[in-house]
Amino acid sequence: MMKDNVDAKVGVNAMDVKFTAKDVQVYYGDNHAIKDVSVDILDKTVTAFIGPSGCGKSTFLRCLNRMNDTIPIARVEGDIRLDGEDINAPQVDPVQLRAKVGMVFQKPNPFPKSIYDNIAYGPRIHGLAKNKADLDEIVEKSLRRGAIWDEVKDRLDAPGTGLSGGQQQRLCIARAVATEPEVLLMDEPCSALDPIATAQVEELIDELRQDYSVVIVTHSMQQAARVSQKTAFFHLGNLVEYDDTTNIFTNPQDTRTESYITGRIG
Amino acid sequence: MPIIWLVLIVAAIAGAGYVAGRARAMRSVEGDHRKLHSLPSYYGWNVALKAIVPAFILAVAWLLIQPLVVSSSVSGMLPEGAIPENSSRGLIMAEVRRAADGLDMAVETGSISPEDARSDAAEAAEISQVLKDSGAVVTSELTEPILRAAQRYRALNATGHLLMTGLVILLSVIGALWGIRESRGDFRARNTVENGLRSLLIGAASIAILTTLGIVLSLVFNTIEFFRLYPAADFFFGTEWAPSFSGRGGSSELGVLPLLWGTFYVSIVALAVAVPIGLFAAIYLSEYASKRVRSVAKPLLEVLAGIPTIVYGLFALLTVGPLLLEIFGKDGLGWMQAGTAVMTAGLVMGIMLIPFVSSLSDDIINAVPQAMRDGSYGLGATQSETIRQVVLPAALPGIVGAILLAASRAIGETMIVVLGAGAAARLSLNPFEAMTTVTAKIVSQLTGDADFASPEALVAFALGMTLFVITLGLNVLALFIVRKYREQYE
Repeated sequence: MMKDNVDAKVGVNAMDVKFTAKDVQVYYGDNHAIKDVSVDILDKTVTAFIGPSGCGKSTFLRCLNRMNDTIPIARVEGDIRLDGEDINAPQVDPVQLRAKVGMVFQKPNPFPKSIYDNIAYGPRIHGLAKNKADLDEIVEKSLRRGAIWDEVKDRLDAPGTGLSGGQQQRLCIARAVATEPEVLLMDEPCSALDPIATAQVEELIDELRQDYSVVIVTHSMQQAARVSQKTAFFHLGNLVEYDDTTNIFTNPQDTRTESYITGRIG
Repeated sequence: MPIIWLVLIVAAIAGAGYVAGRARAMRSVEGDHRKLHSLPSYYGWNVALKAIVPAFILAVAWLLIQPLVVSSSVSGMLPEGAIPENSSRGLIMAEVRRAADGLDMAVETGSISPEDARSDAAEAAEISQVLKDSGAVVTSELTEPILRAAQRYRALNATGHLLMTGLVILLSVIGALWGIRESRGDFRARNTVENGLRSLLIGAASIAILTTLGIVLSLVFNTIEFFRLYPAADFFFGTEWAPSFSGRGGSSELGVLPLLWGTFYVSIVALAVAVPIGLFAAIYLSEYASKRVRSVAKPLLEVLAGIPTIVYGLFALLTVGPLLLEIFGKDGLGWMQAGTAVMTAGLVMGIMLIPFVSSLSDDIINAVPQAMRDGSYGLGATQSETIRQVVLPAALPGIVGAILLAASRAIGETMIVVLGAGAAARLSLNPFEAMTTVTAKIVSQLTGDADFASPEALVAFALGMTLFVITLGLNVLALFIVRKYREQYE
C-alpha cells in the first residue's frame, strides 16, 4: 500500500534547516484541510509548493507565519518550529513572528499610501530606523532589493497604487524585505502578472535566495522548475512528495506526482 | 363626473386593448406564437401603454392648466369698479372661488336647484342667504359682480371638465386603435414596450428633480422679495436679531450672524459628541466584534436613527437640561442659568447623529479589502496598528463623507434646538448659555400671525435659502471628497 505522506528528511543537513514542521493538521470548521504534513524547509533555498487547486498548499504556507490566526474558523495542530523554536507556543507573539517571516500575497496589495510610506511601514512599526536618514537608507536598500528602485526613485511620493501590476508586486516584495525577515513566504506571487513582470519577479526571487529562505506557492510547474531548488507536491491535503526540484520533475517516486506533472490530474 | 370614473374608463379601454392587441397578433401568425417577433403579451402591453400614456399626460396637463385659464378669464370679467378701495383683485378672486364652491355645495345638498344656481335672474342677496343657510363659508355679503363671476366660474369649470373627459377618452381610444393596428407578427412590440418603460422611469426621475427645482425657485423668489424690503448687507452682516411684530416694519433688526453662530455652535458640539463615539463604535463593530455581537449591536444602534427628533427634544428638555443644570448651574459650578443651552441641544443632537456616523463608517470600513489587512498583518503589525495606519486611511474619504452628511443633518435639525437650546439669539462663546439656530427662528417667524408680505415673515425664506446653500455646499463637498478618493485602493 502506498503511503499518503512522505517522511521528508532525506539528505538534509540539520544545520541548514530553517523550518521544521511535524504532523501538522489544519481544520477549517469541519473541513480537514491539511493532513499530517511533515516537512523541513532549508535556509537560503527556494522551496516551491505545487499541486492542484484546493490541495492545501496555500493553507500550509499560511501556517508558517500564523496568518491562519486571522481566520476565526481555522484551527492548526501539530508542531512547527522556526530555528528550533515552536511558533505556536503561547509565549510566541504572532506579530513578532510575522516580522521574521514576511509574506507576499497573490494579488499585489500596496497600501493607499506613497511608495516611500509603503516601504517604511514595517520599519516604522518595528522601530528599525533611528532617524530619518536611516529610514531613507532602509527604503532605498529595500527598493533596490525589490529591483524597482530605478523605476520609482524619482517619484517616491507618488501613491503605490498608481504603479503597474508587476511594479506593485515588486513593491510588495520590497515592502516585505524592508522588515529584514529571515523567511519570505510567497503565495502565488505571479498569478496576477503578465509574462514580462513574471520574469522580473522570478529573477528577483532567485536573487533573494542569497539571503533568505524563500517559500513560494505556485500553480505553474514551469515556474517551480525555474526558480526552486526543492519542490513539495501537495494533493488533497497530503504532502505527497518532497525532493530536489530536478528529481521531482525528472524522476518522481509517487504515481500521483507523476500524474500531476504530466497533466493527468489537477 | 368624478375623475375616478375617467380613470376606470381609460383602464377598461387599455384592458380591452390588451386583449384585442394580443389576439390580433396571434391571428396574424395563425396561432403559432414562435412566428411572432415578441412574446404575445408584449403586443397586448403595447396597446395598453398607447391607450393609457397619452391620455394620462393630457389629463394631467389639462388639470394643471384649466384653473389658470378659468381664473384669468373670470378675472378679466370683473369690472374695475367691483374691486373695493382697500382690497385687491387677488382677494376678490378668492371671494369668487369661495362663492363658486358654496354654490356647488348648495346644489349638492339640494338647498338650491342647479337651474337657480346658474340663472342670470338670481338675486345676490337671496343667493347669499341660501349659501349661509347651507353652511358654506361666505365672508361678506355677495355683490352682483361677484355672483355673476362665480356663476361664470362654475360654468367654465363644468365645460372644461366635460371637454377634458371627452378628449381623454377619445385619445385613449385612438391610442388603443393605433396599437391594435400595429399588432402584426413582424411588429417589434418588445422593443416598443422597452422604450415605453424607459420613458416611464425617466419621467419618475424628472418629477423628483423638477420638484427640487420648484422648491429652490420658490425659495429664490421669496428671498429676492425679502431683499427688496430689507437691505441684504444688514441681513448678512447684522449682529442683532430683533424682529418686531408690531407690523410697522422697519424697526426690525434681522441680522443672520447670531443665528448662524448658534447653528454652528450647536452643530460643533453635536459633532464633537457624535464623531468620536460613532467612529469608535464603527471600528469596534467592523474590526473587533464577532459576527453574533455585530448582528445584534448594529440594528440596535440603528434604532437610534429611527427615534423621532421631537422625542430627542423632550429628552433634552426634561432629562439632559436639568441634569446639566445640576452640575453646571447655581448649585454647582454656576456657569449655567437655565436648562436650555447650547450644551443641552448639542449633546442630545450628538446622540441622535451617532448612528449616522457609525452605520456609514462601518459600511465603509467593511469595504476596505481584506488584502490590505493581510498585507499589514503579514508585515507584523498589530490589529490596532493595522486599523490606524492602513484601514482608516483607506476608508478616510468615506468617513469624511459620513461626517459631512451628519453635519448637514445637524445644521438642518430643528426640534431638538427649539426644545433644548432656547430661543435667545445671541453671539456668545459660553456653551452653557441659551442660543438659537436658523431653523428654530424660521419656525418662530412663520408660526406667528405676521403678514406674509412683511419682511419679518419673508426673512424665513432668506434664512431657509442661506441654510440650503450651506447644507448643499457641505453635501457637494462630501460627494466630491468621496468621489475623488474612492478608487484609491481598488
